[in-house]
Amino acid sequence: MNIVLTLWKFIIEFLTVNAKPLLQIIVLPGLLWVIVYAIIAVWFERKFLARAMLRVGPYYCGGRFGWLQLIADFIKLFFKEMIIPRDVNTFFFLLMPVLLPSVPALAVILIPFASDWVLWNVGSLGMPMFFAIAGIAPLIPVFAGWASNNKYTFIGAWRVAYMYISAEIPMVLCAASVAIMVGSFDLVVIARAQENMWFFIPQFIGFVIFFLGVMIQSERTPFDMPGAETELVLGWRTEYSGVLYGFVMFTEYVALQAWALMFLTLYLGGFNGPVLFGATTASHIFWLVIKFVLLVTLVILLRVIFPRLRMDQMLKLGWQYLTPLAILNLVITLALKLWGVY
Amino acid sequence: MTEPVIEPDIMRMSWGPQHPMSGQTRILLDIDGEKVHRIIADLGFTHRGIEKILENRTFLQGIIPMERMVMADTPNIGLGYVMATEEAMGIEVPERANWIRSMICEMARINSHLYAFGLQAESTGYFPAVFLWTTVDRTIILRLFEELTGARWSLNFFMPGGVHKDLPKGFEDKVIEGVEYLRRRFEQYWVAMVENATFELRCDHVGVLKPEDAIRLGATGPVLRGSGIPIDVRKDEPYAAYGDLDFEVITESACDSMARTKVRYREIGQSLDIMEQVANEVPSGPIRTNVPLFARAKAAEVLSRVETARGEMGVHLFTDGGMNPYRVKIHSPTLRNMYVFERLAELDEILVADIPVLINSIDPWYLDSDR
Amino acid sequence: MSEADFIKAIKANHPDLVVSAEVLRSKRVSAVVKREGFIEVAKTLRDDLGFKFPVSGGAIDFPKEEKMQMMYYLMNPESKFMLIYKVDLPRDDLKLPSLTQVWEAMSFHEREAHEMFGIEFEGHDNMIPLLLSPDWRGGHPLRKDFKGEGSEE
Repeated sequence: MNIVLTLWKFIIEFLTVNAKPLLQIIVLPGLLWVIVYAIIAVWFERKFLARAMLRVGPYYCGGRFGWLQLIADFIKLFFKEMIIPRDVNTFFFLLMPVLLPSVPALAVILIPFASDWVLWNVGSLGMPMFFAIAGIAPLIPVFAGWASNNKYTFIGAWRVAYMYISAEIPMVLCAASVAIMVGSFDLVVIARAQENMWFFIPQFIGFVIFFLGVMIQSERTPFDMPGAETELVLGWRTEYSGVLYGFVMFTEYVALQAWALMFLTLYLGGFNGPVLFGATTASHIFWLVIKFVLLVTLVILLRVIFPRLRMDQMLKLGWQYLTPLAILNLVITLALKLWGVY
Repeated sequence: MTEPVIEPDIMRMSWGPQHPMSGQTRILLDIDGEKVHRIIADLGFTHRGIEKILENRTFLQGIIPMERMVMADTPNIGLGYVMATEEAMGIEVPERANWIRSMICEMARINSHLYAFGLQAESTGYFPAVFLWTTVDRTIILRLFEELTGARWSLNFFMPGGVHKDLPKGFEDKVIEGVEYLRRRFEQYWVAMVENATFELRCDHVGVLKPEDAIRLGATGPVLRGSGIPIDVRKDEPYAAYGDLDFEVITESACDSMARTKVRYREIGQSLDIMEQVANEVPSGPIRTNVPLFARAKAAEVLSRVETARGEMGVHLFTDGGMNPYRVKIHSPTLRNMYVFERLAELDEILVADIPVLINSIDPWYLDSDR
Repeated sequence: MSEADFIKAIKANHPDLVVSAEVLRSKRVSAVVKREGFIEVAKTLRDDLGFKFPVSGGAIDFPKEEKMQMMYYLMNPESKFMLIYKVDLPRDDLKLPSLTQVWEAMSFHEREAHEMFGIEFEGHDNMIPLLLSPDWRGGHPLRKDFKGEGSEE
């Protein structure tokens, strides 16, 4: 028994100390994690939503669980003809799909997966840096929609611009409330501060607003107006085909990942959880991934019960309800901080 | 179509025919931001000249191209033509045949309304649940059709003088079984769709069509009844067995897209009641009076009206004593409702996102409007 | 109001414009009017006799009698009468004032009659083909002398 435990500790130590930078870049939160996560999320969405729709989903490719379907789709998209319409602005048209997944993926490197597992630890710049990087994200669909030179993509692009801005301001205000409460912008410090109490209890308004914000930023169903199939075909994505389309669809999940991880770090305790087998880092990572999977499952399944909102209703939600509530939340937090409750 | 002139500062967007939601039509939207200033419907993508085809077919052959007008609702459409030929030839229909006709027409109405109901859900982006639920539940009706007529969609079951075959043994029980299953399902639809808060946000007060406008613009079917006007051919001029059946004209007073959806929802419930009534009380007797295969009709002018799922359909039949009709004029319900749709942008403020909701609330079937 | 009363009323209103009016069967009446008084009678129908509800419109070709007949279908929402409102046109002079000035909803049906029969509607503001394609040059399909040769271009 002792030998096993020693071996276990040695492996953990080797992985967390010696091979750490390499692991971080290649595995988590690097390339492999993003790809595996996206594939699993898409598989989950297709297979589980199919149950709600009284059908079975992918069935033949990879047995009745359809696990090979996504890989098959990926290969298909990769080798399909990529049609570039005649009147597009070719430079921006080709550049944007490549930029699209990189921006949210870049934001993910700031997220602490464990107290000592941060790919790019910028200390107290963590939260501002995250919002600065994520703030670029809406510009890319706008450029892509404009460069496509199509009316559907153009309307989709301006919807993206309106929608992201109306969601981002309340989200930043809520995140600022958390930062005020903790007294630091450092994401590791924020996550550590939730060891005893997760912040969704003291910051409940912010929790709800940020959750809606996650749905909006990742264009999940009640808020998928920029790609509203019924009126705009695929919104700003309409003109993309082949491997570019693959990139564009992949981004939706990468954006969801970035914002969901931020949401977990701010409100649901981040990497906190009982330490298993004495391996702190590994169990931190384990708990964050578990929470992340549950959150993504919830966000995906919400699609079953919601029709899509209209653009004016979305803007009304953003500016009339979320922003004032976020300001209220900020004021309450400041007041409590001044009175010394936190 | 030659496109009308675009006003300055307005963008013209083509909604269809290559579009996931539009169907076989093109709708031009003059938009300013998200607001729709003008709607122009460009029909005719599926024009097959059915009126001309019918002139070259005998009365019996004509039923087949006629039913191609609305595939989800073939019995109702076919009945319009069959009734017109019967009136022109002076044929009496036995009572049992009339009752069977009524039942099949109501089954087709459920089939068609289920489709419309599912599309209405899909038009709000609520694809997952309801559209596929209705598609699955439609198979209940289609299986009954298959057992009765051998076909699932285009039944060709009505013929001048009655119906083609009698009900198979035990069919009434199967109808009642199906009715009970569908009733259970409709309670779930009500919760999933009509009571869904987001769906209400999307459909309430969208495309309000006031009663006087509905009359002025010639709306028909659920669109008209959704504006609170109780006009239903089944009640006004009972054909088939509708005179003996117990049912009401369903109206809603809200005049918006939601009201039209609710009218369809309640009409499905009512059609289930009628199906049950017929299954319990269908009289016995012959199912057909014999009509010669190549019957001639005396020179006459006949206008028959039926209430299809999409509204009133009229068949104006001119005969000249030959084996073929001289001219058939079909009043298409979708064509009338498409005109209402075209004018809705003037009557109410409409956004781009409302267009799919609106077009499905009038439940268009472009093969019907194009003929 | 019964069918017979309606026939009396329309004949009394415009004795010199109504050519004939008859009852086809219960709740079906038809009236043939002269082309000159076509709009005038229509306004009476709408305002005084309650035929507010436009249903449809179409034409029929009678090559033997050298005429075409334009038919409008109207309904009275109270009494539920269906009126077939007809006007005869000589085949060499297919001109008719547009009925859209009385019932706007006849717009689509007049566009259809225009492309299918070649009837000219004066005063129709949007006379573009409804069902046929814009490059159709094959004549008017629903006329009896149409041979089905299709587009000549």
